[in-house]
Amino acid sequence: MIVARAALLDVQCAAEAGSEGGLARVLLIEDDDETAGEIVADLQDRGFEVERAADGKTGLEKGRLPEIDLMIVDRLLPGIDGLTIIETLRRESIRTPALVLSALGAVDDRVRGLHAGGDDYLVKPFILVELAARIEALLRRPAHTRETALQVGSLELDLIERTARRGGRVVELLPREFSLLAYLMRHADQMVTRAMLFEEVWKYRFIPDSNLVDVHIGRLRRKVDAPGEAPMIESVRGAGFVLHVPR
Amino acid sequence: MSLAEFFRSTIFRWALAVSGAVALSILLMFAFIYWQSARYMTMRIDEELTREATTIAQDAPEERSEAIEDRLKHDPRRVRFIGEFSPGGARLKGNIESLPPHIDAAGPPASARVVRLDGTEREKQRVRVIARALASGNVLVLGRNIDEIGEMVEILGRTLVLGAFPAVLLALVVGFVLSARAERRIGEVSRTAVRIVAGQLRERLPVRNAGDSFDKLAIIVNGMLDDIETLLHEIAGVGDDIAHDLRTPLTRVRAILERGRENARTLEELQSVTDRAVGGLDQSLAIITALLRITEIEHGHRRAEFGIVELPEIVQEVAEFYAPIAEDRHVQLTTDTGTSAAVRGDRDLLFEAIANLVDNAIKFTPEAGRVDVTIAPRGQATIVRIADTGPGIGEAEREVVTKRFYRSDKSRHTQGVGLGLSLVAAILKLHGFEWTIGGSPGCVVEIACLKL
Repeated sequence: MIVARAALLDVQCAAEAGSEGGLARVLLIEDDDETAGEIVADLQDRGFEVERAADGKTGLEKGRLPEIDLMIVDRLLPGIDGLTIIETLRRESIRTPALVLSALGAVDDRVRGLHAGGDDYLVKPFILVELAARIEALLRRPAHTRETALQVGSLELDLIERTARRGGRVVELLPREFSLLAYLMRHADQMVTRAMLFEEVWKYRFIPDSNLVDVHIGRLRRKVDAPGEAPMIESVRGAGFVLHVPR
Repeated sequence: MSLAEFFRSTIFRWALAVSGAVALSILLMFAFIYWQSARYMTMRIDEELTREATTIAQDAPEERSEAIEDRLKHDPRRVRFIGEFSPGGARLKGNIESLPPHIDAAGPPASARVVRLDGTEREKQRVRVIARALASGNVLVLGRNIDEIGEMVEILGRTLVLGAFPAVLLALVVGFVLSARAERRIGEVSRTAVRIVAGQLRERLPVRNAGDSFDKLAIIVNGMLDDIETLLHEIAGVGDDIAHDLRTPLTRVRAILERGRENARTLEELQSVTDRAVGGLDQSLAIITALLRITEIEHGHRRAEFGIVELPEIVQEVAEFYAPIAEDRHVQLTTDTGTSAAVRGDRDLLFEAIANLVDNAIKFTPEAGRVDVTIAPRGQATIVRIADTGPGIGEAEREVVTKRFYRSDKSRHTQGVGLGLSLVAAILKLHGFEWTIGGSPGCVVEIACLKL
């Protein structure tokens, strides 16, 4: 039942990719009214339906609702703690993706958050674009299939041979560039932030200088988008990057 | 201190308790001596009485009469008693007026009070007596005065008073002196503490170099106070620095927005203004985030995430991450790491620390310069060495460079939030890794990582 719903969700999201007024329903469990207000407004602007719970108990109740597609859970809540909510739901076999929010300074939270069954983790203060990008990524997380190749438009990636082609042209990539491109292709049409790339491609958490990711993307772009070809990798000002079929 | 206060004071009570204890122990000691001596003396008397009584009882009647007479004559201290009584209890011979009641004619010596007869005198005395039945049916009684034991008690009592009085007095005085001294030092400490709490952070607890526990405690507390004072000054300094470093981008953002509001005529112009403003705000946010991260690391709770980390792997990945920018700046970035050098630490944080150092090295190295990162063992440590051909850091600046927000004046114009080295310092401190800044020309940073 739950598996079926998750599969359906993937289809839905894939169908909604890039469209306005998406139907994804997000549950925000956050006690601070001001923070919650900002997040709700931002996510609604981005076309999410947002349900808010202001304390742990309500959060847990709403988290059980089948129509919820994703939860954003604050770590510290009155009543039931954020991690306990996720743990409880996971024990009840409810696998709704959960993103944990936590205040900086609560140090080992990330590890604990992920142990408790959280799927991603974001430290306050964050910019709203980062949250939105991560929600998108979670909602459209590819199924755990053993894919051997990726394709976006004419761009093809052979994951076994570790080769890339665009149209008939072979794109020569360094190992890291290959991983970077694979991540962008898995999240095609989705905005990914620098922090997400650093965490997922380099597998480190604290980025010393986020401009460096731009430099790496710049190099990759010059290889993928040869002169004369329509660009596939685009920068989103002040936020991150999107890979899409050339327009 | 009023008299009433004095009697309530700790000093007084301690001194009293100490002297009380001394008095009690002296009393107990004397009681024991008395008990032991009295027992010993009684035993000696009893032995002698038993021996004599047995001997005299076995004598023939004439010899016995002689022995009795002999004893009566040779008794200058008037302590010996001897007498023979008929089976009915009538006195036949000797200086004992009557047969002591309840006496067992075969048993051991016992205590009794008997009346001594000397001619016409009668005197009741406390004695140890023994009785023996004679062949004739008469009873032989021998006794000895035990006033000596009483005298001994008196002597002991006098000694007790004479000895104990000064001892107790001494205890009282010593008790007063010691507790007064302790009280005075505690008083000093608490008065100093009150002043420190009131804000006089320069104050320190007095140390007398006596090497006693008070000194040891005072030295520890003073060390703590030094740290607190430094920290408070740092916080005050950091407050200024934060204000300064945040003020700069925020002032710029404000100016940009103000000018934009006045001058922008088209949507594009307004958007470009907004973008620049967002850039400035991002910079401010980056400062705040970096600051919070330093605090987080300095609190040192992160050790939970420590694991085994291969330094060469991290250095290679840092180098790979920075390769494009080094290339763009025409700086040659090389590594020589060997294959394995494992340490215990937090992978993410060590990457961050080394990345920050490499970042700095590349930023400060002019075109055609080079940055070399090497890993080599040295003694018990593995040294990670980041060397560049940049301007280096002056001797005087090397100490302060690791402080929060410090940025060499030369670097004020270089991009970055000036917290990089502070982060490095916090991370390395958390790991217990020493680090040094040296090099001339250029800058050489060496991190001594503890081998696994």
